[in-house]
Amino acid sequence: METTKIKIQFITLTIFGIMLTACGGVPEEGAKIAGEEKAFSVEEVLEMVAKENDVTRTLYTKAIVGKGKAQGMKFDEDWRKDDVEAGPLPALFLRGVATSIRKSPVPLGLYLGSDFPVNAANKFEGKQAELFNEIKKDEKPQFFYDEDQKLHTAMFADLASAGACVSCHNDHPQTAKSDWKLGDVMGATTWQYPKDSLSYKETIAVLNSYAKGTVEIYMEYLDEIDAFKDSEKPEIGKKWPAEGNYLPTPEVFLDSVRKLASYETMKQLVASK
Amino acid sequence: MFKVSPLRKRQVIGGIIGLLIGSTLFYLFTLDATEEYISIGPMNKGHQDLSCVTCHNDAKGNLMQQVQSNISHAFGARSQGVDFGTQNVTVDNCLECHDRANDRHPTYRFSEPRFKQAVKVIDATTCITCHSEHNDKERVSLKTANYCMNCHQDLVVEKDPIDISHKDLIAKEEWNTCIQCHDFHGNHRYEVPTKIKDTIPLLDVQKYFNGEDDPYGTDKKYIALSQEEWLKEIDKN
Repeated sequence: METTKIKIQFITLTIFGIMLTACGGVPEEGAKIAGEEKAFSVEEVLEMVAKENDVTRTLYTKAIVGKGKAQGMKFDEDWRKDDVEAGPLPALFLRGVATSIRKSPVPLGLYLGSDFPVNAANKFEGKQAELFNEIKKDEKPQFFYDEDQKLHTAMFADLASAGACVSCHNDHPQTAKSDWKLGDVMGATTWQYPKDSLSYKETIAVLNSYAKGTVEIYMEYLDEIDAFKDSEKPEIGKKWPAEGNYLPTPEVFLDSVRKLASYETMKQLVASK
Repeated sequence: MFKVSPLRKRQVIGGIIGLLIGSTLFYLFTLDATEEYISIGPMNKGHQDLSCVTCHNDAKGNLMQQVQSNISHAFGARSQGVDFGTQNVTVDNCLECHDRANDRHPTYRFSEPRFKQAVKVIDATTCITCHSEHNDKERVSLKTANYCMNCHQDLVVEKDPIDISHKDLIAKEEWNTCIQCHDFHGNHRYEVPTKIKDTIPLLDVQKYFNGEDDPYGTDKKYIALSQEEWLKEIDKN
């Protein structure tokens, strides 16, 4: 009788065990990429994407905003409002890129701040304010681990690289500082990523998400132009504002960014161990 | 053959009846028609026509896989457990219908470290801090409307258009007045008054939070997707 009872318990347990293990479980998140070799530290990747950002922002500020204004094109902080016919200012262009990145599956955060922002809500506080003081001294990037959110965080100097940066900020009615000069550290970009190292594939995904973000916000600008009722619409094609009332297509714009940034990025990518 | 005692026989019959009732209930409660009985409360204003799956996506794997994975996790055989039945609702679920390019306060911006203190007071990184669901008609679940004070203490407005300046309103800590002109997400098209007496009364704003008429007007730049539109978007992607 006792043996029978043990047999039944054994059979029940075996069936239960088989049922539990036979289906294989839900594949673990990241199990696929866990096997991929980590090629870059998060600091290296954020430096790469920050460099691309520098090139993109400088190109947009100089070649689109600066030259565009000379052609009579308008750029405004309220560019999304229905009654405003204008394009995004460089800071809002960056915010558009950041928004697009957040919609992508890449867990990359991008923010812009300053100690003298036009909008007081963008003023650095706490750890960022502390590190920004260091950045202003030597213009070198600063890295820290955000314990609260468990995110690797990097800050990079945002320089007054074009005359348009200086003149717009100095002349803005709400500016907190009106003596900006070319080359000044006007602010810093802050980047966040959850992992301490990235595979080659993850690195490319980060770079691509940034590039896709620039195209998306630039396309939004072109859509805005398309909806202009009272303002003259620039011709969209291969030409740039330096040549007249023209704007490049998103492809032409991205191609120029790639030409300017690809050498530095490629050097870093091929230097992977 | 085994000799079955009457007591054991009753146990077996009871077990079979329990299994049958359990299976029937499981089947019935997974039908679309019975959704309201398993919901923890009536849907909020604007969400009345949504079915559960709009927000509660099925968790990955089948039930057996989910059980196995969580047991494995409990015994340390895998690093993470998995959602059981349905996935947790996240900001991404909300944004599938409510994402707007003109959002003045998108949730992701508050992940920046400088908002650390503000987020401790009001966690604006997630929608449900202000918009908790299943509260019957409600739009905003906050009890107060003074939340602007957490980030805008240093606000300066040049050529201030309002009769009592923003500077004075902040100095007097009149934080409830912000919402009387500015809707938090900035999606309404409306004329902003220039006199405090002409602003939207706070009581009307509170009624709006509780599901009554929209005092900012009905002219909006972006309209959230309906369930049908959302399904079409999913099919496209």
